[in-house]
This record gives sequence, C-alpha cells and structure tokens, in this order.
Amino acid sequence: MLEIGNLHARIADGREILKGVDLAVKAGEVHAIMGPNGSGKSTLAGVLSGKPGYEVTEGQVLYEGRDLLAMPADERARAGVFLAFQYPVEIPGVNNMYFLRAALNAVRKQRGESEMDAGQFLKAVRAKLKLLEIGEDLLQRGVNVGFSGGEKKRNEIFQMAMLDPKLAILDETDSGLDIDALQMVSRGINALRGPDRAIVMITHYQRLLNYVVPDRVHVLSAGRIVKSGDAALARELEETGYGAYGDAA
Amino acid sequence: MSALAEIQPYVEAFKARPPVPEPSWLVQRRDGAIRRFSELGWPTRKQEAWRFTDLRPLQKSSFPPAAAAGDATEADVAPWRYPNAAHRIVLVDGAFVPALSAIGTLPKGAWLASTSQTLHERPELLEPALRETDVLGGQAFVSLNAALFADGFVLALEPGIALDGAIEIVHLGRAANRSAQLRNLILLGPNSRATLIETYAGAGAYWTNAVGVVGIGIGAVLRHVKLQDEDEAAIHFGHNRIELGRDARYENFTLSLGGRLARTDIHLKLDGEGAACGLYGATLLRDEQEGTIATVVDHAAPHGTTREYFKSVAADRAHGVFLGTIGVRPQAQKTDANQLSKNLLLSRRAAIDTKPELEILADDVKCSHGATVGDLDEAALFYLESRGIPVAEARRMLIEAFATEVIERIEDDAVLRAHLSRHVARWLAAGIAR
Ligand SMILES: Nc1ncnc2c1ncn2[C@@H]1O[C@H](COP(=O)(O)OP(=O)(O)OP(=O)(O)O)[C@@H](O)[C@H]1O
Ligand SMILES: [Mg+2]
Repeated sequence: MLEIGNLHARIADGREILKGVDLAVKAGEVHAIMGPNGSGKSTLAGVLSGKPGYEVTEGQVLYEGRDLLAMPADERARAGVFLAFQYPVEIPGVNNMYFLRAALNAVRKQRGESEMDAGQFLKAVRAKLKLLEIGEDLLQRGVNVGFSGGEKKRNEIFQMAMLDPKLAILDETDSGLDIDALQMVSRGINALRGPDRAIVMITHYQRLLNYVVPDRVHVLSAGRIVKSGDAALARELEETGYGAYGDAA
Repeated sequence: MSALAEIQPYVEAFKARPPVPEPSWLVQRRDGAIRRFSELGWPTRKQEAWRFTDLRPLQKSSFPPAAAAGDATEADVAPWRYPNAAHRIVLVDGAFVPALSAIGTLPKGAWLASTSQTLHERPELLEPALRETDVLGGQAFVSLNAALFADGFVLALEPGIALDGAIEIVHLGRAANRSAQLRNLILLGPNSRATLIETYAGAGAYWTNAVGVVGIGIGAVLRHVKLQDEDEAAIHFGHNRIELGRDARYENFTLSLGGRLARTDIHLKLDGEGAACGLYGATLLRDEQEGTIATVVDHAAPHGTTREYFKSVAADRAHGVFLGTIGVRPQAQKTDANQLSKNLLLSRRAAIDTKPELEILADDVKCSHGATVGDLDEAALFYLESRGIPVAEARRMLIEAFATEVIERIEDDAVLRAHLSRHVARWLAAGIAR
C-alpha cells in the first residue's frame, strides 16, 4: 500500500531532516514508528500528508502504486490518506459539524458515493461520537477551539472514524491521554484495522502498543529507519532506550 | 480632465435643474453649496483623509443627477429584502418609488417618509440636515449633495417612541453615468429607539452619493446597518454625520461588498455625557475594487464609550483602506474607547492600508487601538485540506470565518446576524481568485 524509498527531505532553512527513509507498509498491517525527539517522525508524517514547508530532495513514495508526492494534500486525503495531527489546529469560526460534513462529502464524492443529507450525517456522527465518548456539544464549537488536549486527540480519531481512510498515519495520538481515553482511542484505531487498510502509528510509549498490537516496529533516528522488528522491539526499547541507535546517522 | 473640467458638468447640472418650488432657506443653501463645491473641487491625495483613495473612476467621467427613477421591479428588490422588515422605503436612482415601498403602520409620533415628501409636508424637520459643516475634505461631496439632492428618506421619532419592527431602506442604482444624490435624515427624540437597515445595490456604472445626518437624543438608541453591494462598475460614497446626546447609543454595522470605488465615511460626535457607540463592519473586495472605510469619532463629553472593530478582505488586485480616528477632548474624562482593524490579504497584488489614529487630550481615559494585516492561516488551511476539503473550499471557509467573526459581535439580533452572514456567503460563492 505504501512504499517509501530513500526519502530525503529538508525544511525551509535548508536543514535536511529525513536522510533516506525506507519503509514498506502492506495492506492489513499496523506499523509503529518510534524514535527520539527531533528525529524526524512528524516530518515524515508531514511529507506523507502533503504539509507545506518541506522539500523532498531525493527518493519517492508510492501509495497504491501512485506517486503520492505528486498529489496535492487535499487529493491525498480524498484518496484515503489520513493524518492524525500531533498538534491539532484550532480554527475559530469554522464550525466543527460543518467542517466535518464538508470533509466527509468531499471524500464520499471522490469514492463515487452520494452526499449525505443532514439526517444521515447526524446519525453517522452520533454512532462514532459514542465510540469515543465525545460530547455532542463539542461539535457545535469551532474546529478544536477550546478543546482540552485529550479532546483534541479524540477528535482526530473521531474524524478518522468518520472519514474511513485506507492509510492512517497517527502522530503521537496517544500522548496526553488519560487511561480511559487511551482505551477509547485504541478502540477507534482497532475498529479501523482491516485487510484493506494500513495504519502507521508514531508513538513514544509501549502503552498504546499493548492495546493496538503492531505487526512491525521501526526506530527512526536522525532521519533514517535504523532498526525494525516485531512487537517485541518496542518492549525492548522501553528497557534500553534509544542509546544504542543514537549515532546511526 | 482638468480639475475645473471635472466639476463643470455638475455646476451645469445645477443650473439646468427643472424649477421646483422650494423654501427660501433651501434655495439659499443650495446656492451656497454649489459655490462651495466649485471652490473645493474633488479632494486630492494631498489631503490626509483622501491620501489612500484613488478617485480616478469618479474623475474620468461625469455623473449628472438621474432625471427620474429608472425601471425596477419587485424582483430587483427581492434579493436585498430584510426578513421581517416592518417598514420599507425603496429609492431608485435617488428617487422614491412608492410602488415598491411599504411604509406600514407607524405609531403616533413617528415619521417615516421620503425626503421629497418631507420637504413638502414638514420642511422644518429637514432644515437641520442641511447645515454645512466642514468635514475633513469630504466637504466637496457633501456640498455637491446639498446642491443637487432631490430625495432620500427621513425618519423622525418623537420622545419615547420605540419602533419594534425594523425599517428597511433599499437604494437601487440603475442609470449609467448618472448619479443619485441622496439626502437622508434620522432624528431620534429622547428615549426613542429604532433599527434601520439600509441597502445600496444596483446594476451599471452609476454613482451613488448619499449623505446622512443622524441625531440621537438623550437616552435614545439607534441600530443602523448599512449593506453596500454596488455593481462592480459603480461608485459609492456614503457619508453619515452622527451626534449623540446624553446616554444615547448608536450601534452601526457596515457590510461593504464592493463596487468599482466605494467609500463610507462615518463622523460621529459623542456630545452628551455617557453616550456610547459601537462601530463594526466587514469589507470584502475583489478584482480591482477600491474600498475605504473612514471613521472619525469625537469624544466631546465625559464617560463616553466607543467600541470599534472593522475587518477587511482584499483579493486579486483589490485595495482596501481603513482610516480610524478617535479624538478625546479635554473635557471628555473617563472616556473608554477601543478600536481594532483586522485585515486579510488574499493575493500578493492586493493591498490594504490601515491607519488608526488616537488624539487624546484628556488625562483620565482608557483608549486603545490595534491593527493587523495578514494572510490566510497556513496551518488551518492545511488542516482542512488534510481532511479532503478542496483548496478553494478550504480558503472560502477560512475567509468566511474571518468575516463572520465580526458579525457575531452583533448582540441580541440573530435575524440580523443571519442576514449579513448570508450576504457574505453569497459574495464568497462567486469564487475568489488568488
Ligand atoms: N517546519 C519546520 N520548521 C523548522 N524546523 C522544523 C520544521 N519541521 C521540523 N523541524 C525540525 O526538524 C527536526 C525534526 O522535527 P520532527 O517534528 O519531525 O521531530 P519528531 O521526531 O516528530 O520529534 P517529537 O518526538 O519531539 O515529536 C526538529 O529539529 C525540528 O525542529
Ligand atoms: Mg513529532
């Protein structure tokens, strides 16, 4: 589903952050990416989702065989790529419900499905809200406006559940969640798991991986994947830290 | 055209007016006004208040007053209708059109009529509306208007009269290369209250030159809304002079949706102790439109309050201007005034000039002002796009959020908020180029 080959990317000041990332994720798989602060995890997520401000200088990314990097961000999303933001953005004045409906209808249109009317939409919303225990009143506010840290993260997973992507990239969605919220979010992620989908979870903690057991675990250090393994690798890292991989670049 | 050649057609038009019997005070004032106009000519960019406004569209051709109301039907008025308006006056090319108007039932002590009818039946009401006060170089437009006006509307409320239903005034321009010289008067007696929605729209390359005089008596309250969406070839000047008595309140909202060249001047004087004004507005400009909002607030008495918040959006090659002066005279102690101008540039070729100015001569006051000019929030735009919302729609959503934020400041009037938001959405639906 996703094939990243020798990906190099730099930021506006010219500093190279990704220094040759190789990663292949097959449909049906869940991958976890771990690694020290500042190693480039969010940069990788940003490059994959089309966030402006990065320049890819080398390498390629194929998504379902298509050149992902050639697609504008909105098109990637409609093609089924979803990014759960490490820091969800507050957008005052854009109503959450209105926003979500616009997004859902854009995605459905792309899939050749009909637009949802207000009634159908509300029904779908209510079902997913329940799963994540989000109060309906939050949806009447501006996008993420006045949400607590945990509410923002749950809202990301709620949006993911609504949009039903094929490839979900979750950037530290587990950070800042209380124990109950972590379980809700995990439930949300597991609900998306399926033979036609892939999930890439960026995380610092083993805790999430107890609930959403990954098929593969990778260590990203200084802009490269320096170690890959199965779920046991994450437990091992919890013991040893990243010290062994620090000088990989 | 030379400066003289530019004003000559108006002087000619003045001389060529058909003879209408008018009170002698009016005849004298009109004579004085045309003389004043020919001395002044158009303002120049050397005058501070006109430095940013490009008057060329006005100067390049001439716009003698339209002879009569052009054709207009209910269908032309329909898009501008204010929901639940209780009283309606429609003027076309500067002339009252009874067939499209519906004055409705007015309580005793309330006067609502066209300026021409008022002149006929109650000329004494109108006399104060024609004082000639010099106003920051805008005088030329005010004088020309005084010389040439034929119609407009008059609202006068006696003490204690409250109009519950909104009054709607629709001005339609129709006649190309003609002007509508409108003279409007609003006089609220002590403790009276009204809501007035004025709309300026039309089709063609006309010029609307409206001058309003507003007096708000002790404890009276006026909510005054101006929705200006002139034809993209049209020129609009709207100049209101407002005076507030003790504890009087003036709540203004100006939604300005363009025109070839559009300028709104609000000159407001807080004359009585404890008077309060709220000046709010949003301007949206596209193509090569020029739009100016100029406010001058004069705190002349203690304990006055000003809340001022204007937003503007400029796309394409549009040019927006906000000039906001707040003056506090020495006697106006305990004045509480703030002013904010927030602006959004949607293209590299668009421009916005914003010039807040405080002149404070009293020492015990609370005054502040601020101005920002920025682009669309990149992070917000990416967030919307990352959910599959097409770029154009994402931009539209953010611009709409920017503009409606100031509409949301309107208190206790959901109908009005919805009305203004609907017009913003309509403007946006036409599409915004980068
Ligand atoms: N837009 C940007 N502008 C400036 N610097 C950036 C930008 N994006 C990333 N960086 C820098 O690139 C490096 C990698 O950042 P990134 O956010 O990818 O790290 P990360 O692995 O996600 O870290 P964390 O675990 O702390 O979230 C950091 O040094 C960061 O400061
Ligand atoms: Mg990160």
